[in-house]
Amino acid sequence: MRNIYLIARREFLSYVATWGFWLSLLSVPFFMALGFGMPILIESSQPTRYYVLVDETGGRLEQAVYEQIDRSREEEAERVREAASEMLGNNPQVEAALDNSLQLEDDSYVRVDAGTTDLNELRPYLTGAAELDTDEGPQPLFAAIYLSEPVPGRIEMAYWSTNLTDSRLRGDIRTALRDYMQLRYLVENGVDPVLIDDAEDLDPVVRELNPERTADAAEITEGERLPIFVGVGTAFGLWIVIFSVVNMLLTAMIEEKGNKVLEMMLASARHHEILIGKLLGVAAVSATLLLFWGGLASIGGLGAQQIMAAADIPAADIMAALFDPALIGPAIGYFIVGYLMYGAVFLAIGSLCETIQDAQTLMSPMMLVMMMPLFLVMMAIDAPDSPIVAVASWVPLWTPFIMLVRLPQDIGMVDVIGTTLAMIATAAAVIWGAGVLFRMGALNQANQDTVRGWFKLGGKKKA
Amino acid sequence: MSDTILALNGVSKTFSGKPAVRDVSFTVERGQITGFLGPNGAGKTTSLRMALGILTPDRGEVSLFGGPPRPGALDRVGFLPEERGIYRKMKVIDVIVFFARLKGVSPAEARKRGLAMLEEFGLSEVAESKVKTLSKGMAQKVQIISTLVHEPEFIILDEPFSGLDPVNQYALEQVVRKQAQAGRTVLFSTHVMEHAERLCDKIVLIAKGRKAFDGTVAQALGQVPRRVTLEIVSGHDLAQVLAGKGEVHREQQGEHDVWIVDLASGVDAQDVLKACVDADVKLTRFEPMRAHLHDAFVHLVGQDAAAPEAETV
Repeated sequence: MRNIYLIARREFLSYVATWGFWLSLLSVPFFMALGFGMPILIESSQPTRYYVLVDETGGRLEQAVYEQIDRSREEEAERVREAASEMLGNNPQVEAALDNSLQLEDDSYVRVDAGTTDLNELRPYLTGAAELDTDEGPQPLFAAIYLSEPVPGRIEMAYWSTNLTDSRLRGDIRTALRDYMQLRYLVENGVDPVLIDDAEDLDPVVRELNPERTADAAEITEGERLPIFVGVGTAFGLWIVIFSVVNMLLTAMIEEKGNKVLEMMLASARHHEILIGKLLGVAAVSATLLLFWGGLASIGGLGAQQIMAAADIPAADIMAALFDPALIGPAIGYFIVGYLMYGAVFLAIGSLCETIQDAQTLMSPMMLVMMMPLFLVMMAIDAPDSPIVAVASWVPLWTPFIMLVRLPQDIGMVDVIGTTLAMIATAAAVIWGAGVLFRMGALNQANQDTVRGWFKLGGKKKA
Repeated sequence: MSDTILALNGVSKTFSGKPAVRDVSFTVERGQITGFLGPNGAGKTTSLRMALGILTPDRGEVSLFGGPPRPGALDRVGFLPEERGIYRKMKVIDVIVFFARLKGVSPAEARKRGLAMLEEFGLSEVAESKVKTLSKGMAQKVQIISTLVHEPEFIILDEPFSGLDPVNQYALEQVVRKQAQAGRTVLFSTHVMEHAERLCDKIVLIAKGRKAFDGTVAQALGQVPRRVTLEIVSGHDLAQVLAGKGEVHREQQGEHDVWIVDLASGVDAQDVLKACVDADVKLTRFEPMRAHLHDAFVHLVGQDAAAPEAETV
């Protein structure tokens, strides 16, 4: 035990002392903060676009365009309100907050009067040769838009701009014109505009119901769907953590072999002590990362819970789904067993190789094995009851990932207990086999050619 | 307390059908410096690995401190492997403390001893430096300190002189002598016989996986025929003059016509000289040849077996 502890401690400290560890530790919260803040940052940093709109029909199309844009915004806001109400219930404070944010005018695009509507005179402003006098100071002209109806029923838009990528303004006006044309067509053909409005409001009421419950409690809420998404998210998270941690093990092992330290270690500790010590040392590294990230997430979660509680949002349901012991418990168990399985394999591979290049040959099949559960988890999002997913969860190397997605779906205990036992038995066998390979590799009695030879031998036998 | 520190009893080891060690037996006695000699690929490293329990013999038994090589016994051993290396990214003192702690020394004591040994080896100024900043010679000294810092009763050095320049080879010889004077038992393997001749109380010769000799250096040298080379200008037939002194034959060495005398048991070079003087032989060369361990080795195992083999383990 002393040697296992000392080897694990040395491994842990050797990682903690590296820049890479601190970058990993801080990069996740940094990029998450960046991910949340980026849209706001992009929105706030985007310059105001100034445009000129010329309606050659005398204002008819212009009025139709702005009315249609306003209507579209109201419809969009209504959809958001309905979605929020469905998820969070009727809450006056939430509705007030949404009204406040959804009714804000879009000030990203500002229509200006450039003093002329002639394209040749506007051209220098469009190309950047001249600038408009605005409240923000001199600014270039983003676009000049000409609306016309050369033939009754045929509306045209000429959109002049040097910016080829920002298409929002063009798209909004095009949509507004199309809606206007469709509406006018219907009215001209005798359809009452009130009927058209009413028709647009028609929407079926859809109720999702669980046949396992009584009629009054059968309705499935959005909150009930959360565990499945949490399961998928946890499976992906588990995959990323295991993948990055086992790569640490591989590179550490190769480095140690390159440094020729192993034989000196073997005179002080047995093979299994070195193997387990290394596995535990790197596990401690990943535990530190997870605890730090988990701590930050918990602080964020508590903050969110308080905000939701203050707004009378049923926070408990959402938090219960996110921190359900029925999911967190197995997730920890699957992480430990998955880490031990893959970690032992990667340590054995490392012990057989002198360089990363050597390792790549042996890594390729392992990478394919590791990639498969990713595809299966993605498949499980749409078809969690797929027979392929169910069968794949019995493959012990994939069990930790796929069962996390299957667990929230009330699968039978036979599947849960059976896959778990198969996974634990396989983990024990893999660790034992990896120990044998590690023992041979550490003393240069085997290398990547040896493993290649086994497969060639197997191939010949089959032939 | 038993005087036998290590005993290999009929051990054999085969790798992929190729025998590396065949029925080797020898003992290492307390307080002695024992040399384990043989050409590259003779089976020395495999034997030492079996002695430490790193490898398990296919046949035979290993006894270390009177029992199998278990972790408790290993704490009393300092081992310097042939393939040498240490953690390059760690500080020198941390490496030494780490290996001392693996052998059961407390952290404070390990640090104290490590700093003292660094001082003794003239490396105190690099104690807090990373190993990767050291020269190769300095790094090797750090590894030797790591091997000795827990004050082992039994020190096993596998080819300790390989890769060292003559100055450091001499320094290492002094370290070995000092450890032996402190009452520690030393077993080292080498394919360079001169080191063994200078240092060892006892030697074990191994070739092609088999033990060829086990005894003192004097006993090994005693196996080699003692020889005197003579050149004369008086035209005597030395085979007659030196009859009974040993086996005498004549051979051409370049432009020189020389007589070779392989001395008989109980006859020494002075007896040959006296016989020549008594017979009024005009000598231009009288050269008694001192045998070396290499000669003993070649004599014992033959020229073919003394040649190095491709190292498989």
